[in-house]
Amino acid sequence: MMRGILMRKALEKAMLMHAMLMRAMLMRGRRMGGAITRRVAPALLLAAAAQPLRAQWVTTFETFYLAAPHNWTFRNSYQSADRLFNAFDYGHAILYETLWRKPGAPAAELEVRIYDRLTKQVLVRPPSVPLEEVAIEPMYARLAPEAKAMFDWSHVLHRQIYDVLADERLDGAAKDAEVARLIAYYKTRPDLTFSSKPKSMELMQEQPYSLAFRQKYPKFNGLIWGYHWFQVGLYEPLLVGTTSEERQAGVRRTVARFWQMLTDVPRTLPHQMPMTAAIAPQFAARYPEAAIIFDNLHSMHDVVSDILTNPSVPRNRKRAEIIRAARMFRDDTSYVMPVAAWRVMSLEMGVENMGGPAVGFDVALPTPTVSYGAVMQHDRQTGRMTGMTVGTMTVDHAGMSHGTPATPAAVDHTGMNHGAPAAPSTAATVSAAVDHAGMDHGPPAPAAASVTASSIVLLQKRLLADSVIRRRVMADTSLRRMLLQQADGLGERERVELRTLLTPARP
Amino acid sequence: MMHISIGVSGAVLLAVVSAPVQAQTDYYNTDAGRPVLMEDAYALERRGFELQVAPLRLTRSRAGVYTWGVEPELAFGIFNRTQVEIGMPVAQVDQRAGGGLGISGVEISALHTLNVETSIPAFAIAADLLLPVGRFGPPRTYVSLKGIMTRTFPAFRVHVNAQYTLGSSVTNATGAPIGAAAQNIEVSRWVAGAAVDRALPLRSLLMTAELYARQPIVVGGSVELNTGAGVRYQLSPRWAMDAGVGRALSGDDHAWFLTGGGAYAFGLPWRAR
Repeated sequence: MMRGILMRKALEKAMLMHAMLMRAMLMRGRRMGGAITRRVAPALLLAAAAQPLRAQWVTTFETFYLAAPHNWTFRNSYQSADRLFNAFDYGHAILYETLWRKPGAPAAELEVRIYDRLTKQVLVRPPSVPLEEVAIEPMYARLAPEAKAMFDWSHVLHRQIYDVLADERLDGAAKDAEVARLIAYYKTRPDLTFSSKPKSMELMQEQPYSLAFRQKYPKFNGLIWGYHWFQVGLYEPLLVGTTSEERQAGVRRTVARFWQMLTDVPRTLPHQMPMTAAIAPQFAARYPEAAIIFDNLHSMHDVVSDILTNPSVPRNRKRAEIIRAARMFRDDTSYVMPVAAWRVMSLEMGVENMGGPAVGFDVALPTPTVSYGAVMQHDRQTGRMTGMTVGTMTVDHAGMSHGTPATPAAVDHTGMNHGAPAAPSTAATVSAAVDHAGMDHGPPAPAAASVTASSIVLLQKRLLADSVIRRRVMADTSLRRMLLQQADGLGERERVELRTLLTPARP
Repeated sequence: MMHISIGVSGAVLLAVVSAPVQAQTDYYNTDAGRPVLMEDAYALERRGFELQVAPLRLTRSRAGVYTWGVEPELAFGIFNRTQVEIGMPVAQVDQRAGGGLGISGVEISALHTLNVETSIPAFAIAADLLLPVGRFGPPRTYVSLKGIMTRTFPAFRVHVNAQYTLGSSVTNATGAPIGAAAQNIEVSRWVAGAAVDRALPLRSLLMTAELYARQPIVVGGSVELNTGAGVRYQLSPRWAMDAGVGRALSGDDHAWFLTGGGAYAFGLPWRAR
C-alpha cells in the first residue's frame, strides 16, 4: 500500500513538472509573439499525427504470375484437388476477417458456425476459380495489406509449382529447372518473399502472443493445419508417381486422406503444424527452398491468427505486431536454423502428429503421440527436441499401439526430464532427445529377456530392409525413438548398424 | 442534322466519357466503362496484360438514334502500381444520323495508384490523351486528368472519381456534316461521381451502381446527371466478364446504354538473369 502511495506521489510530481515545463514554454512563446506559437502548435500537432499516418501509407502492389506454358495445368488436370485450394482461400480469409472484426465473438462463431459452413458447404462445393481474398477479408486487408500481399505472392508460388509438377510434357530435369525459375521469379519481390532459410518454431510458438488461436479455437486451428497438410502434401503424389495414371491416383488418395481428417475433429486433425520435410519428404529433399518457404508461410499464418486472437495485443498494436512478424519471416537472420536441423526438427515433431505422410499411408489415420497443439522445444543448431513446454506425450510408450485412436487422457510424464538440452548431435546420429529415465515403461516382456542382442539386430535389420516397413518406422518418430533407445543397449557394432538403418536418408 | 449530331456525339461519347479504361484482370478490380464509368483506385498488376476483347456498347438517344461501339483496348502493368493503356473505339452510327462505321479516336492513358488502402483510403491519379483519329474522332487532342479514391467498408466499397479535361470549349454544336459534326463532342469538361459495389466472393461476382454528373465541353451545355449499374463476373482465372446498363437522368439527350464484354489476362514472359 505504501508502495502504491509512493508511486502515485512520484507520478503526480512528474505530471506537475511536465505542466510547469509546458507553461514555461507557452509563456516564452507568448513573449516571442503569438504568431510563432500559432505556427508552431499546428506544426507540432501535424508532426505528432504524421507518424501514425506515415505508418498507414502503404505502397505495396501486385505482380502478375510467371507466364509459362504450364500455367493452370494443375487446374485442368486435377480439377477436384484444385478446387479445394479455392475453398481453402476462403477459409483462410474468413478466419482473419472474423478474428479482426469480431474480437469479442464467442468461440462458437468460428468453431461451430463458420467451421460448419466451411466443411459442409464450401469444401463440399468448392468455387471453380481462385477467389479474390480481399473481397472476403476487406477489413483485414485494410489492417495489414503488406502481410496479405506476402501471403498472396506465396500462394502464387504454391499454385505454380503444382502446375509444373502436373505438366506431363515436362521431364524431371525440366521440372527442376522450372521450379528453380519459379523460385527465382518469386524472389524478384523481396518485399513480399518469405525467407528460404528455415526458421525455428520459436518464432511461431514462443512469442508473447503465441498459442492463443490454437487454444481458443482448436477445431478451426486443426482445420487450418489440415489445409496446410494438403497444400504441401499434394506435391508428394505428383513427385512420387512415375506415370500420369500414378500421379492421378496418388492425388486422389491424398484428397481422400484430407477428407478423412475431417471425420472426427479435432482428434483426426493434425495436432502439430505439418512440416513439409515430414509429410512430403521427397518434395522437401528435391526442392528444399520451396519447402522451407512454405513452412515459413504456414508458420506466419499461425502467427497472424495468434496476434489477432490474443487480447494481450491491443487492437491498435495488431498491425504493428503483424508487420514485425512479417519482417522476421522475410529476413534471413531471425530465428534461423540450419537446413539439416530443420529436417531433424520436422521429423522429431512427429509426422504422426501432423496428419501423417501424404503418400504411402495406412488406411487408418496415424495416432498422434502428443496432446493437441503441444509445444516442443528444439535445439536451434541440431533441430533435436529438447523439451516440451506445453502439452504432453499421449501414448504409453510401454505398450504403444499405433493402429488405434489416441486416448484423450494424456500420460503423466512428470518424471520425464525435458528441461536439459540434448547434447549436440548430427542428423546421422539422431537419437531420442528426451530423457526417458524417469518414465515407467512397465516390466519387460518375458520373451524379451531371452532374446539375444544379435537376434534383435537381425530381426530389426530384416524388418527394416523392407522399404515399406522402413518408411513407416521412419514416419513414426516415437517408434523410431524407441528403437534407437533399444540400440543404446547393444554392442558398438550392432548399435552403429541399427542407427544407420534408422537414420533418415540425406537428400 | 440533329440526328447526325446526336449520333456522332454518341460515338465520341464512347471514346471519351467511357474512355479512361483502367483495365484489371479480375472481377473485383473495376475498370472505367466496364460496366460503369466510376472505377477503383488500383492499377493492373505489374507485368500483367489485359486485353478487352469485345467490349460492346449500345447507346440509344432520346431521338431513337442507335450507336454501336466496340472498344478494343490493351492495358499493361508497366511499373509498380502503374499501368498504361491504349484503346481505339470503333463506332457504328445509325443511318438516321448519317450512318457509317468509323474510329472514334485513339486513346492513350496511364494510371498510377498512390497507395494501398489502410485506415487511409486508396488514391490514384490518371491522365488520358485522346487523339483526333478516325471519322468520329475528336477535332483536336484532349488531355484529361483524373483523381480516384476507393474506400472499403465491411459490406461494400465506394469509389469516388473526379476528372477534368483541359482545352478550349467548343461552340459549334450542330448542323455540320459528320466529319465536322464531331465538333459536337461529348468530351466532358468535368466528370464527378461515385460508385458503390458489393462482392459475392464465393461466386466471384461483383454488383455495382453509380451516379455521376458531367459538364459537356460544349459552350452552354447543361450539366447531366447519369446513373448506371452492372455486374462483373470471373468466368475463369483468365477471363472476367461484365454487363451493365445506364441512363442519363438529365441533360439534352437522356440516352440509354447497354454494355457487355470480356477481358482476357495474360503475363509477360520472364527469364532469370
